[in-house]
Amino acid sequence: MTCLEVRELLPEHAIGVLGELEHERIQRHLQTCAGCRKEAGDLGQAASTLAFALAPVPVPEGLGDRVVARVRRAAGAPPGTRRRARTATVALVAAALVFGSLGWGAVMAGRAERFADRAAQAQREQAIAIEHFQQVLGNVIPGGSLPDNETHIGQLAPVAAGTGGGFALQLVSPRILDFVMVIVNGLDDPSVLPLRVQLVNDRGRVLRAGRIDALDANGGAEVYHQFRTQGLGGFTTVNVVDPAGRPVLTGTVDQSS
Amino acid sequence: MEGLLGGNEDAVRALYARYGRPIFTLGLRLLGSAEAAEELTQDVFLAAWRKAARFDPARGRLSTWLMTIAHNLAVDRLRRETGVTRPHLVLVDEVPELEWVDEEEPLIERDAAIRALESLSDAEKRLLARAYFGGLTAREIAEADGIPLGTVKTRLRTALIKVRRANQDKERP
Repeated sequence: MTCLEVRELLPEHAIGVLGELEHERIQRHLQTCAGCRKEAGDLGQAASTLAFALAPVPVPEGLGDRVVARVRRAAGAPPGTRRRARTATVALVAAALVFGSLGWGAVMAGRAERFADRAAQAQREQAIAIEHFQQVLGNVIPGGSLPDNETHIGQLAPVAAGTGGGFALQLVSPRILDFVMVIVNGLDDPSVLPLRVQLVNDRGRVLRAGRIDALDANGGAEVYHQFRTQGLGGFTTVNVVDPAGRPVLTGTVDQSS
Repeated sequence: MEGLLGGNEDAVRALYARYGRPIFTLGLRLLGSAEAAEELTQDVFLAAWRKAARFDPARGRLSTWLMTIAHNLAVDRLRRETGVTRPHLVLVDEVPELEWVDEEEPLIERDAAIRALESLSDAEKRLLARAYFGGLTAREIAEADGIPLGTVKTRLRTALIKVRRANQDKERP
């Protein structure tokens, strides 16, 4: 679907009246389009507002206790057991995030002042990035089979006194075409556009992974690239560079995990 | 939210105390029975616990996040029960009550919602209600009213944008 087609359907998407087929097609588009995702979020928030306009009715006695009991029962068992395979992959990738997990939170420090808040923010951002990567992989891998030991992640940090941050997530596989997704956020200087995403190996060979022409309201964007003839093994350095070739963000993907 | 992530009882109770009633109200409105509304309410808080790690306050308020979960779950339930690929909600003709109701602790969100709806014309309110609470698609509304489909889609978007802007204006200091 094109952005134009998606935008035409987003109001009904926000209200929840689209058929399943159209809904799923839009969801797929939103996974890879930050602009439409922003519009969908805005319209969705507006639609949700309508629910609060209803005149409240009395709730059944004891419902609060039953809600708490149900969540506590569920909390006693690991969440997400219905999606065991995907969760297993998430857990594996999450293990690679132990180091430097607070860096992303620091990037977002403008919205999270306390250390504890930054840590929580960092965890949230990581979880979102990983979940998003798994969703995208689910679309690009035939049959949706997710290899547990072939997904890797690295954190992007600003160069010098710059702003922003992000994640680079790679699928490096002997069976499936290699794939990279780069998520950036907090880039507050639009003059650096267009940005280019480069992958570099230890011999200095550079692969182009995508171009960022626009940033959303949060200074964010996403780039995806599937490499049809080139494997990503060894291409662990990820640079996001400005038009002059100067790195704006940089990071390293740990492919050994 | 951190408490909710860990299944902390106090966190769940605090969340329920604030949002349990509007969620139950929405469930009753969409599903048509107290039993279904109760099941939906439990499902919403369970889903919120499962999805808590994905909630991002930078992208929206907790209240709208919860209400989106509630509406989506209600729509999914109606789809399953009716076997159709789009929802047929139960209350087709009614427009939500917009008058103030005496409450012990009126929700800030309800205040904001009513003020946001006040920014709409009567026709826009009715249009949104027919879609959100009635489950009508833009095509069905266009056919019922004898107006072009594109016009209905444009009006739906315009009305939602007005609601969003009214909320944003309220959020600004």
